Amino acid sequence: MGYVAVKGGTQAIEESIQRLKYERVKKGKVMEVDSIVCGMRGLIDQVMSESSLYSETLAAIAIKQAEGNPEEAVFLMRAYRSTLPRKHYSRTVLSDDMRVERRISASFKDIPGGQILGATTDFIHRLIDFDLMDETEEDAKQWLHAFECQVEEEGPDKTDLNKLPKVLDYLRAEGLISECQEDDEEPEDVTRTSLNFPASRSERLQVLTRGQTGAVTAFAYAVIRGYGQLHPTVGELRIGDLPVCIDNPIGDSDPDDAYYIGEIKVTEVEMLIPVTIEKEHGRKEIEFDIGYGICYGQNETKAIAMGILDNSLNTDHPEFPSQDQEFVLFHIDSVEATGFVSHLKMPHYVTFQSKLDSVRKTRRNRNEEREGENR
Amino acid sequence: MQRKKRTEILINGAREIPARLAEQIYERYEVNTIEQPNNGLVMTKLRETAKKSLFYLGEVFITECKVQINNVIGLGIVKGHEPELAYQLAVIDAAYRAELKETASWSEVLIAEEEAIRRKRTLRQSKILQTKVNFETMDDGE
Repeated sequence: MGYVAVKGGTQAIEESIQRLKYERVKKGKVMEVDSIVCGMRGLIDQVMSESSLYSETLAAIAIKQAEGNPEEAVFLMRAYRSTLPRKHYSRTVLSDDMRVERRISASFKDIPGGQILGATTDFIHRLIDFDLMDETEEDAKQWLHAFECQVEEEGPDKTDLNKLPKVLDYLRAEGLISECQEDDEEPEDVTRTSLNFPASRSERLQVLTRGQTGAVTAFAYAVIRGYGQLHPTVGELRIGDLPVCIDNPIGDSDPDDAYYIGEIKVTEVEMLIPVTIEKEHGRKEIEFDIGYGICYGQNETKAIAMGILDNSLNTDHPEFPSQDQEFVLFHIDSVEATGFVSHLKMPHYVTFQSKLDSVRKTRRNRNEEREGENR
Repeated sequence: MQRKKRTEILINGAREIPARLAEQIYERYEVNTIEQPNNGLVMTKLRETAKKSLFYLGEVFITECKVQINNVIGLGIVKGHEPELAYQLAVIDAAYRAELKETASWSEVLIAEEEAIRRKRTLRQSKILQTKVNFETMDDGE
């Protein structure tokens, strides 16, 4: 049975689109894009990360158009992205160059540079602040002025947040995690070639970082609840800005001759996972594996979950679905997952009629058999 | 001053600086726009720290512009939708490539702006460092 094209409903569809706009503006007020950029940082970060496109303004417009629905906003961003030319590839970005604004470790209390909390919801009581009902821009400006006036000159702590040492380097120096050389193999790009299994590490990381926050978190939760063998700890979590540069298109690749284009905020996590390694004469030693997570913006749960899944998928003999590359990587993309599920509401008249015919035929045959037996 | 440092100061500093420097050029020279400011993408390549391998983190929305001065091409490229800034960056880039005499005095301006950026960042850093945890070992009750 093939698909059959049908016509009709044009007027109804046009009116439905008008109705969608009506729902957005019916209370006579509209959200300014700038207000979304200023006040919806978490949602903007999530939408940029899941759409794999860094632009706060575009994300804000998409959020406005989608009335705050992240899956629709991500769809809009991905669709717009597909209309734009990819003009350049960046020089390799190194997280060592991050201008850190938050950095913690759950593994070590005393880390070089210290535990820097930055901005976090970890220590708030999760009580709704009803004062926000009446908050005005004037209130915000006054608060901001007072906050910024508290530091007018350099403080006594001279820690350089541009050059914070990595916790991993500390462990590598102690021999607790294995040393590895830089791997300069050019990455594969899942936006250009279809995913095949087993996927390369570059493909796995790219799919994970653009995965839907909820899906990535849910799979990682399954891993640590029992559908996996991981007992991870956050070795280091850092948030900050990474400079992005491109090589001079009409020159060589001298780093000082590159074009700086701006900075992107990311959350980066290195998860430490203890593993037992069998050495010579059956001697067993515990070492640490690392799971790597990173995503656009401040989205700590997603970055941690990505780190867990990165390690979980790094096996040739999956015992659990959460270790199966196809199971995880094919089901965490926001546009693919929500697109496929929601397409079920589109007309399936012909396929459903075909199924209905089969059901009727089966029943008719059974009734005829029964009648034959009763004769 | 080398390009990376220059573009970093022009993008992160006060907006009136690239505007002023570019104006000095397009008021005195013929500037042909080869590519109007237009939007595009830069794919970010990142080195992860677990296996030190490379992968693509995602794309960055950018504005790019190309101009020509005295048969020399200048490129302006910046994150976000910034048509004016992309044009000014392209003009400044072409001026440096063409070694126009005006550029000789720009280093001083850029170094002063770099210092202003550094000062601002140091204050921001001091404020962030106020969230550094000062651990105290708890008394065991004896």
